[in-house]
Amino acid sequence: MRVDAYDKVTGKALYGADRVLPGMAFAALALAKIGRGRVSGVDTSAALAVPGVLLVETKFDLASPGFLMGGGFGFQSLQPMTDDHIAYRGQPIAIVVAETPVAATEAAEAITAEYEEEPFALHLDSEGATTLVQEEAIPLPFLADIKVGDADAVIDSCAVRIEETFEHPPQHAVPMELNGGVVWWQDDRLIVHEGTQNANAVRFGLAQQLGIDAELIEVHSPYVGGGFGQKNSLLVHIGPLAVVSRRLGRPVKLVLARTQTFHNGSFRPATKHRIRLGADATGRILAAVHEVDQQTSRHDLFIAGHTEVTSRLYGFSAFRGRQRLVQTDVQTPGYMRAPFESPSMFAFEQAVDELAHTVGRDPVQLRLDNDTETDPVTGLPFSSRHVGDCLRRGAELFGWSGRNPEPGSMRAEDGSLVGWGVAIGNYPGSIVAANATLTASADGRVTVAVDGHEMGQGIRSTVALLVARDLGIPVADVTVQVGDTTVGTQHLTAGSWGTATALPAVHSGLQELRKHLNVADTGDVDVASAVADAGHAVQVSVGSLGPGQTADALAQTNTGHLAISGPVFPGFVTFSWIAHFVEVHVEPTTCRIRVPRVVSVADCGRVASPVTAASQVRGGVIWGIGAALREESMVDDRVGGFLNTTLEEYPVMVNADVHRIDVDFIDKPDYQFNPVGVKGLGEVSMVGAAAAVANAVHHATGRRHHRLPIRIEHVL
Amino acid sequence: MKPFAYTAPSSVDAVVEALRVAQPGTKILAGGTTLYDLMKLGVEAPSAVIDVHRLPELTGISVTDSELVLGAGVRMADVSDHPVIRPSYTALAESIWRAASQQLRNMATLGGNLLQRTRCGYFRDADMPCNKRNPGSGCAAMEGVDRPHALLGASSLCSATYAGDFAIALLAFDAVVDVVGPRGERSIPLAELHVEPGEDPRREHVLDVDELIVRIRVPLTEAGRGSTYLKIRDRESYAFALASAAVGLVIDGAGIVTESRIALGGVATRPWRAVEAEQSLLGQPLTAAAARRAGEIAFAAARPGRTNEFRIELGIRTVADAVRTAGERAVR
Ligand SMILES: Cc1cc2nc3c(=O)[nH]c(=O)nc-3n(C[C@H](O)[C@H](O)[C@H](O)COP(=O)(O)OP(=O)(O)OC[C@H]3O[C@@H](n4cnc5c(N)ncnc54)[C@H](O)[C@@H]3O)c2cc1C
Ligand code: SF4
Repeated sequence: MRVDAYDKVTGKALYGADRVLPGMAFAALALAKIGRGRVSGVDTSAALAVPGVLLVETKFDLASPGFLMGGGFGFQSLQPMTDDHIAYRGQPIAIVVAETPVAATEAAEAITAEYEEEPFALHLDSEGATTLVQEEAIPLPFLADIKVGDADAVIDSCAVRIEETFEHPPQHAVPMELNGGVVWWQDDRLIVHEGTQNANAVRFGLAQQLGIDAELIEVHSPYVGGGFGQKNSLLVHIGPLAVVSRRLGRPVKLVLARTQTFHNGSFRPATKHRIRLGADATGRILAAVHEVDQQTSRHDLFIAGHTEVTSRLYGFSAFRGRQRLVQTDVQTPGYMRAPFESPSMFAFEQAVDELAHTVGRDPVQLRLDNDTETDPVTGLPFSSRHVGDCLRRGAELFGWSGRNPEPGSMRAEDGSLVGWGVAIGNYPGSIVAANATLTASADGRVTVAVDGHEMGQGIRSTVALLVARDLGIPVADVTVQVGDTTVGTQHLTAGSWGTATALPAVHSGLQELRKHLNVADTGDVDVASAVADAGHAVQVSVGSLGPGQTADALAQTNTGHLAISGPVFPGFVTFSWIAHFVEVHVEPTTCRIRVPRVVSVADCGRVASPVTAASQVRGGVIWGIGAALREESMVDDRVGGFLNTTLEEYPVMVNADVHRIDVDFIDKPDYQFNPVGVKGLGEVSMVGAAAAVANAVHHATGRRHHRLPIRIEHVL
Repeated sequence: MKPFAYTAPSSVDAVVEALRVAQPGTKILAGGTTLYDLMKLGVEAPSAVIDVHRLPELTGISVTDSELVLGAGVRMADVSDHPVIRPSYTALAESIWRAASQQLRNMATLGGNLLQRTRCGYFRDADMPCNKRNPGSGCAAMEGVDRPHALLGASSLCSATYAGDFAIALLAFDAVVDVVGPRGERSIPLAELHVEPGEDPRREHVLDVDELIVRIRVPLTEAGRGSTYLKIRDRESYAFALASAAVGLVIDGAGIVTESRIALGGVATRPWRAVEAEQSLLGQPLTAAAARRAGEIAFAAARPGRTNEFRIELGIRTVADAVRTAGERAVR
């Protein structure tokens, strides 16, 4: 069981905006109603007349927090309400603070503005959208187009060629927990309670925005009610909140409305993928080309990382990637779960499926035949790659041998067309520099403060389990502190490096602790008596690094920045792997597409916590099904911004859409990657799931879908 | 949200009196799942609400010799699980069971359900032009996202779909609503309760502002047993219909259809009875071809918008499937 399960289900666990403080005031935002332009005047008189309103502010003297991926701290560089420029519909133009949330909301709605409108572009192919070649726009080595050999020439000379273009719509993460938090000052000290995956960036970003020392800022994010990347950095409401709180001398709470979160946080950008494969008559892939256009904002270049995964999928002898960024009039998009990998795999793994179909090979066998031990890009070995085992075990569990390869050939009892689809996925292995502090106390308890955030993935349980097993003490005697800048740096938790980062840090902390407790390097420890012998509570602090990282990395995280290593390490390359097997039923007449069963087998190194690991995979698969069949953030070209901004209109999956999902793990430790042997799991879980659904739909209907979501109208 | 006055009278008489003296802009409040929602969006702004959510007189489900009587204040959740309604008015129970979510069904009432407002996204966004919300401002849906909009009963001013499910099943069973107001009681056949947008999209039903729905009566019919409510939507719960059909059939010992009821949901500006489609089934054995033809007749007058033409074929197939299911139940 999860160590914090009881607290969560009883409501004892306090999330960011749950905090209620004496004298607290409430804020609300008013948002721009044009697609792009300038705001020439804001009328706040009606808002100020609302009883209970304390303050209305339209202009802030705040520095840009900088863009997270450009060495800054913000989800975007643009801080609204610092000038008259409106970059996208939904950008905040005023903040109201009142005695009650109702008064604040009413006042915010009473704010009107005059605008000078400018034309705007929302789509990859909109007039006015600007396309940049990523490697030219950001000339950094790791963003250069991946080129191995002359892929185009090889493909041109191949007996079998596949060329397909796929489109993936923009999507929003819509975590249950709304963006928002509580901010207050104790003299010169700024205290922030906010559900964030990156308390570190919130802290240092605010320091930069407000021009104060980060030492004076503490950020608490003990629980995040779902982040999925949308809470990976400083959001635009916190800086203004800190300013108004200081001015009023009161704590201020702001919780964005659901509709507002669609414009005041990142989203998965629209992408277009052109895939070319060249193969021999048996389906051996000799070369591949993957060209991607990815949406970004006008004010930031959200880097595209699609070809990093597709170039490693199979043993290509030649590969060419090209990634372009298309500037449109939206807030800056970002890292929604498996940000590049899920859309990329939807495209690439459908092309691979098409190849299998074309050459008449079984899609599982064709994938096995194209497996490799060596990274095609660097020529280095993979530290572990058990995707072949994932495919074999998955096929076995699924009963794949019963598949009739002919599309449209299988039927369910109710007459539904049955489709069986497979796809694999991968996700880069990363480890970030991290700090851990372990304290053994006289009562035998051990407290672990480690960099990380609890976002529902169960990091407290995973860490507690490691400590309990190592020392031979009950899990209940381990307290885990995460997401709190007063006990650690709290580097961004994302990119599926949470476990692979926290566990090695705690692991080396345990070794250090054993030394200071004067006990053996292994075996059970009587903590209470060891502490008694020492005569005082024993505390150790360690910093840990990814393979090949230098101490600079710790300095990076200690100043609020990212310190990420991987997936290419000295002497090896690390990825997590997965294979998904999906059965779809397409109803005979009304053509609803259902997914009665899925089998997913993952290679995430050692499985650190079987219960939370399996639910990670289920969550990823569910989201993959949602991406394949339902989710799309819609726009209306006449008004800008996003249209379907509620949980009713943005069709996330519901329980009734979820059926059997069987999960299994290869569970082979990767000790080259880190001493605990764990690799990332959270995101690879989703990678390839949408592709497997699309491949299953093809098998059911004979129709290949080049655009997501696949809805009733596309199969009717 | 604008400030509003709130009262909760303790009897129907007291509600009627409150309605009689009510200031303009007063609205009846039941579960609030439509009304409060739209108030928060700035679409509705009543000056006062009269809360009838806890009125004992509006609760209760009873079955007489001739009809099923449902209080207007009955919660949706109580209908979907009801031991009599489930077997003898299957379509009614299913229409509720497939509506909204459990949380909403626990809160929402049958009276409020009938008068729920359209889910047209432009209607719900107070910043967009909308003839229903702001007469004369235009209709943003005409050139916009019109995937969920009505195929039947639209006017040049508005094509907003009537989104509710329950009223569709009630319509198929010839239900009647009893209302009371300062001018006394009256009964309105469900078929006459809702109106098409025509020249005045603001007007959605024939109730006066001071009239309260007290109960819904559903005549007993053999077709209740042989009935179904089929709802096709983008996800399997918590979504409105792309197309739905309530169908009730009676089939005699020789396999001939002797009674036929078909109503369409999610595709029209009001609950839509498909009378000619019903008649096409009468006096014949039920075949797959007859079911399909009933669907085609039901949608003969459909006019698609820019992006929703697929819902005509989907609607036809929905009717056909529902007819077949009802037929199977009718002979069981
Ligand atoms: C997210 C969401 C999803 C939904 N999905 C569905 C769905 O799939 N299918 C479906 O059918 N519905 C759906 N609904 C609508 C829901 O069923 C209705 O909101 C609900 O039934 C309304 O009942 P209520 O008691 O809350 O009404 P209220 O919101 O209180 O009132 C609604 C209207 O009816 C009037 N009114 C209420 N009671 C009376 C009365 N006794 N006499 C006269 N006037 C009265 C009110 O003045 C108001 O105008 C959904 C709603 C939401 C919010
Ligand atoms: S369809 Fe009707 S409700 Fe929707 S925008 Fe047009 S007028 Fe308004």
